[in-house]
Amino acid sequence: MSELEHELVALGRALAVPVQPDLTPRVLAAIGTRPAAPGRRRLVLALAVLALAALLATLAIPDASSALLRFLQIGGARIELVDELPAVSSSPPELELTLGQRVSLDEARQRTAFELLELDQAPDSVYLGERDTVWFVYGLPDAPRLLVAQTPELEIDEPFILKKLAAAGTRVERVSVRGKPAYFLSGEPHAVVLVDEYGVAITDSARLARDVLVWDEDGRTVRLEGDLTMAAAVEIAEALR
Amino acid sequence: MEDRPPTDAVLAERARAGDEHAFAELVRAYQGMAFRAAYLLTGSAADAEEAAQVAFVKAWSALPRFRRGAEFRPWLLRIVANEAHNRRRSAQRRDGLTLRAVADHASGGVVPSPEATVVDDERRQELRAAVNRLDERDRDVLACRYFLELSEQETAEVLGVRRGTVKSRTARALERLRGEVAP
Repeated sequence: MSELEHELVALGRALAVPVQPDLTPRVLAAIGTRPAAPGRRRLVLALAVLALAALLATLAIPDASSALLRFLQIGGARIELVDELPAVSSSPPELELTLGQRVSLDEARQRTAFELLELDQAPDSVYLGERDTVWFVYGLPDAPRLLVAQTPELEIDEPFILKKLAAAGTRVERVSVRGKPAYFLSGEPHAVVLVDEYGVAITDSARLARDVLVWDEDGRTVRLEGDLTMAAAVEIAEALR
Repeated sequence: MEDRPPTDAVLAERARAGDEHAFAELVRAYQGMAFRAAYLLTGSAADAEEAAQVAFVKAWSALPRFRRGAEFRPWLLRIVANEAHNRRRSAQRRDGLTLRAVADHASGGVVPSPEATVVDDERRQELRAAVNRLDERDRDVLACRYFLELSEQETAEVLGVRRGTVKSRTARALERLRGEVAP
């Protein structure tokens, strides 16, 4: 450990932290009695299957039975089919705030632990966001023509990092990007909600998304978002290198 | 023969099965660290208290998905960090928060640590100011590694990144810090 690191440890130990009350009584009052783990999991799974089964009949999803088996999950993104979208503002306060910290393209290349997929045309702006997501923005940040997001999967145990809620009116189509399975969501805007690894929504991340192509590319989840036809989205996706 | 207190693994397994008393033991054992971590990440005692409390409640709900044999501490701190980040984002207070605790050293209601004399005031303030000038990611990784004294693997789990990312992020943050402070 270097001298600077020793100094940081000493500084950390010198930090003054306010006196905190004992949280135990409040935590115990807030938690309800929970059944043992396996039973609860089975119940949740059963409810999820029932909900999907009921909805598949009304949604335009080709190959419905296989989609059900996969739960429409691609990489770290889960597409959940619901009968009603949550209340999400169609004009979120500031898209830029939800994207993360603005950096240069070179800095993004240096700071990410994975090789970025890029188009020939450089993005107009680049952001580093939650869950190590790198965002390429084409156009103005508040009115982008195209968003490209790349989120690496993590080594820790997590079911998904991004939840897309699609209701009737949103078409979900299975397509292929360089031979890899992908989903294209189009039609009515769908809700995008970042979730933590416990499936709990990060409340202020919710927003409505336009047409989106999502797929898994060598351990990262890639999303293209914009006013795109499916063919155009796939063409752009396959141009990412 | 003297009874040994149950380990985290034993308590977590009991709590996972629905034992509230076992979970209460875990809350008592880790609430200090949870609050400290949340305070470092939010810079607000009120936000930290709320984040820690909500994190424990979420941990209880998420215990069925806690992997047997996994370490409880980083798993819990990951939830705490998420809650703290949520509050930081909600308040849109993106900068200058992580180490406000140091600036508050002389304010009321705080307990100075005996190690406070290890780094003299001037150097400590210089370091604090330099860390505050770093971006959020750099501050978070330094807070985990040096202020909470977590291992690289624990930091990776808390911040939700790979261990290699922690290593490279820490090296870059230290390099930037060296450029900001006198040797």
